[in-house]
Amino acid sequence: MSKLNELTVLEAIEGLKKKEFTSVELVRACLTQIEKYDSKVKAFLRVTADSALKKAEEADKEISAKGAEAFINKPLLGIPYAAKDNYSTKDVETTASSKVLEGYVPPFDATAIKRLNEAGAILLGKTNLDAFAHGSSTETSDFGATFNPWDLTKVPGGSSGGSAAAVASHMVLFATGSETGGSTRGPASWCGVTGVKPSYGRVSRYGIVAMASSTDSPGPLTKTAEDAAVILRVMAGKDSLDATSLQTEVPDYLSEGKSFSMQGVKIGRPVSYFEMELEEGTRKKIDEAIEVFRSLGAEIIDVDMLSPKYSIAVYTILQRSEVSSNLARLDGIRYGHDRNSFGFEAKKRIMLGAYTLSSGYYDAYYAKAQKVRTLIKQSFDSAFEKVDLLIAPSMPCVALNVGESSNSPMFGEMMDVLNEPSCIAGVPGISVPCGFYNGLPVGVQIMSKINEESKIFGALFNYQGATGFHLEKPALIKE
Amino acid sequence: MNTMDSRKITIEEVKKIAQMSKLNIEGDEEKFSQTLDYIKILDELDTSKVSETFQVTGLTNVYQDGSQKVTLPREDALKNVKETARNLVVTKGVFDRE
Repeated sequence: MSKLNELTVLEAIEGLKKKEFTSVELVRACLTQIEKYDSKVKAFLRVTADSALKKAEEADKEISAKGAEAFINKPLLGIPYAAKDNYSTKDVETTASSKVLEGYVPPFDATAIKRLNEAGAILLGKTNLDAFAHGSSTETSDFGATFNPWDLTKVPGGSSGGSAAAVASHMVLFATGSETGGSTRGPASWCGVTGVKPSYGRVSRYGIVAMASSTDSPGPLTKTAEDAAVILRVMAGKDSLDATSLQTEVPDYLSEGKSFSMQGVKIGRPVSYFEMELEEGTRKKIDEAIEVFRSLGAEIIDVDMLSPKYSIAVYTILQRSEVSSNLARLDGIRYGHDRNSFGFEAKKRIMLGAYTLSSGYYDAYYAKAQKVRTLIKQSFDSAFEKVDLLIAPSMPCVALNVGESSNSPMFGEMMDVLNEPSCIAGVPGISVPCGFYNGLPVGVQIMSKINEESKIFGALFNYQGATGFHLEKPALIKE
Repeated sequence: MNTMDSRKITIEEVKKIAQMSKLNIEGDEEKFSQTLDYIKILDELDTSKVSETFQVTGLTNVYQDGSQKVTLPREDALKNVKETARNLVVTKGVFDRE
């Protein structure tokens, strides 16, 4: 049997049910892995070892008293996870990797955290991100960068870089991320894990430090698509504390995905995505993934969609505008520190947003961007009239060198170009590993209509059943 | 009609926005003088007959039901406050910009 920290969530649940090991052993295995490797990877900002062990003891008592039945109401009982540090965690410092919030201890849990904890999952620590999630490399964190476990000279992607790196190096069984314009799929792709950007509104934003409220979409990072289905089901659902949360019932993604047949499924290949500047190695791996889907019974159809190149401008305007509004609340009076503690990137974004929203410029920038957003949404709507799913690379290339992002002021926007359109349209997408180029993971993403995540999961269960890329482990953690 | 001239945020504008955003950037103004040229690409698209999409869910008039009573106890709400007086938050003066 593999080491306990290397188990998937589903394997760990089975083992706990059968009493093959305890939750305390599972938590200790993760803590040992963190101790061993996190001095190099730097995925965690803080580890909550004591409270995690205490909760694991309680979980073990419950399992020993009730057996497998304990999992009926608590489907994640005894499973350790990490939360991106922009998720508010009661009594655990939450900084969003910014000095503005250093020392802030939330008196409440984000809804997604509350749901995970109520399902029995155990918070093991908080992971690093770009400060306020402003970036795509995790290098803008005010507390230092995170490094890619596949190659420590590379960035993990961002902004959920700490979460992706923690899952990839098996320090934890799963982690939470959040995506506004690529922040979950990007790092999932570069770290070789599964990353879910659900439909906008599927997972409550309540208690997550806001970036751009009209696209912020929290979701899980996991080792497999099946694990992602299980975790998303727990995190998702209507929340009276988030008026934009979707009111539809949350399906059982795992069972719906498992009963999904690939025969005759139409997968669209958006031609404009493939016309973007893609690294050859990445292009080749995506083409191979397309062939796997074809061999599984899918029909691959070229579809015309609005070029993602327009999304860079739309995303930049909308994101900066919403950032300037969201970060206006931070004044250091009720919590955190004053506005002098903002880093350069946050200041730059706040100021550009204030500018694009100003009277006189509003129509030229913000209103224009919102109009093009309509065109982007229409482009997805018409594509999904012809096909069930869309396939595309998650990132235009594999992980870049540490330090490379600082040379390009639009680095994040350029890297996230293949994720921005679906974020702007509210469409879900899931990235999974589909091979390696120069020893670094490549990610492929599948997108669907809003609220049709089960179809994506179905396609990805089939894909991961036919391939083994998601099972590969970085050399760093192989002894 | 939709055209946007090549624009760079001037130093004067940078100073004004910084003041409005309550950000102290003294000495760094040049770094914030950004160009907005990349958004000119949107001129390629005709949006004269297109309306804005401000949100994608289509939800309207969402209210909490009356039973929702989430509120923080006073002591919790004050835990992270820098300065308190008589169990209240001390804020900066609004008038005369104290």
